[in-house]
Amino acid sequence: MDSLLSEKHRIVRRSVRSFCEREIRPIAGEIDREARFPWEVVEKMGKLGYFGIQAPVELGGGGLDSMSYAIIVEEISRASGSLGLCVTVHNSVALYPILAFGSEEQIAKWAPPLASGQKIGAFCLTEPNAGSDASGIEGTAVADGDAYVVNTNKVFVTNGGVADICLLFLKTNPYDDPGEISVVVAERGTPGFVVGDLEDLCGMRANPVSSIRLYDCRLSRENLLGRAGMGLKIGLATLDTGRMGIAAQALGIAQAAMEEGILYAQQRRQFRVPLAKHQAIQMMIADMGTLVEASRLMTYRAAAFRDAGKSFSQESAMAKLFASEACSKVTDMAVQIHGGYGYSKSYAVERYYRDARVTRIYEGSSEVHRMVIARGLMGKK
Amino acid sequence: MGFHIAVCVKSVILEAPAEQVIRNEDNSELNPFDRPVLEAALRLKEFYGGRITALTMGPSVSLSALLEARAFGVDREILICDPGLAGSDTLATSRALAAALRKLAPLDLVLFGVRTADSDTGQVGPQTSVALGIPFVGMVQSIEWKQDVFRVKRVADHFVEEYEVKGPAAFTIHPGALVPRDLGLAGIGRAFQGDRAERWNLRDLGLQADRAGDAGSPTRVLSMKRVTKTKQCEFITGDALEQADALMKRLSESGALGV
Repeated sequence: MDSLLSEKHRIVRRSVRSFCEREIRPIAGEIDREARFPWEVVEKMGKLGYFGIQAPVELGGGGLDSMSYAIIVEEISRASGSLGLCVTVHNSVALYPILAFGSEEQIAKWAPPLASGQKIGAFCLTEPNAGSDASGIEGTAVADGDAYVVNTNKVFVTNGGVADICLLFLKTNPYDDPGEISVVVAERGTPGFVVGDLEDLCGMRANPVSSIRLYDCRLSRENLLGRAGMGLKIGLATLDTGRMGIAAQALGIAQAAMEEGILYAQQRRQFRVPLAKHQAIQMMIADMGTLVEASRLMTYRAAAFRDAGKSFSQESAMAKLFASEACSKVTDMAVQIHGGYGYSKSYAVERYYRDARVTRIYEGSSEVHRMVIARGLMGKK
Repeated sequence: MGFHIAVCVKSVILEAPAEQVIRNEDNSELNPFDRPVLEAALRLKEFYGGRITALTMGPSVSLSALLEARAFGVDREILICDPGLAGSDTLATSRALAAALRKLAPLDLVLFGVRTADSDTGQVGPQTSVALGIPFVGMVQSIEWKQDVFRVKRVADHFVEEYEVKGPAAFTIHPGALVPRDLGLAGIGRAFQGDRAERWNLRDLGLQADRAGDAGSPTRVLSMKRVTKTKQCEFITGDALEQADALMKRLSESGALGV
């Protein structure tokens, strides 16, 4: 596939891979075991522009395109799913909506610290009673003079434990128009802003996923992103990009699992020959390679559509659905090739297997994606 | 103040399957020994000011090495590219580089990697400086500018040597001298905006065809074959003392031990 990429995208891949191999891969197992957010590496990633991949250079970003974004998320995830998650969420569902829907003042205030990685962003939609059905949120922002008084409990917030700038989906006219959902930006440290305990998750353990709760928190009305009632529109626009990011993330994890599977199959000997000589193992390697390459094509296609200014909702939904399910299959096969060792925390495939699982759940479950894709294919009838 | 530094880089081939050298985008990369050289040039520019020109000689695929150099912060890039340069050995390469460097004058410094990862001769840096008639120091570890001269240090045979050199001068940079920086995304974005690298051919260099490429190269590569290593495993039996004696005997017989 790389043969079809432009020179720019090859250089992007080469430079990001070189960084990830040296700085991230060696600590990926440790930060997963310790459930530790590696600030020391995140700081370096910020200086290189990984937290503002598509943000303009003047705002401290990398000024690159969606294809570069997909490649970068893929490469970081190839080394650590947790950090890939941090970067994709920060870029696509925190920084991007601010750039796309923010006022000049809002962009000037929030984009530079986000794009340079000095501040981490989060996207807060899910609540205990609302997830796939975003319209079911209960959090409220009630206008009071020049402020909103916000009360909400947002759960499963990726980057939650370290996020400084949070995009909250709230009902901004709960009494008269309960359907009015808007995005209000909250900054950590505002009185009433509480970071809940970190979730004890199956995978992506180096990402500090937590709840974010706001109790009678007064946020300036200038923190409203776009206009009141634009929440679902912002959410949908944002999720198209977000889904492409999760596809790239799943692709990176699957790529890493395939590489480990092949390496192990070539080293481990059973019945006097390397595992790779056994046809049963070769079948798995062939399937892994095909799934990974198909995921790559679909992910890059979504990115290419976006770069060409075309609608890419279907493309990104299909890429996310396919790549996340392929990732589960590929990591499963990589564990299978490793046998008992693949079930042990001594081998990286065990982590890939756990990290893979959530890619089918977050930023829209596989089921929601099938609904979206079917609706797109059948038209609105 | 401010130097004009020329950095000569190469796009190297990562692997040559089937004993044939066919360069393409997939198997070419900026010579790893050139990365510390770029780093040295960038630090000199940051510290003393000035500008950096990167040069490379090779087919169009070498452009990638120049773009990467631009992404790091090089100011001008020149691709020396001409079908008449095909088959150049190190002497013909040095001649072409020297001709290009003369065109770029005035220069304060010309920097090279100590060698390339694919042909490994280590000759181009020194030969080019001879062709230009400028002083040369190899395997330099540090460069300072003091009262109109370069002070350079290098380590040779367990001695630290310090030289004072008047510019323009040429150095090769020791690969361990500096840790090259990582490439930032903004640099990559910038590298692909604006003009492409300049291309110079033989005519631009004012080089006669018989002084370049195959015709101007006294060296002929006759063949290239992959080295196959064979391992033989022998078990030495007996008690520990007998095993040790037998091992010593074999090692000294094979010449591995000087006893």
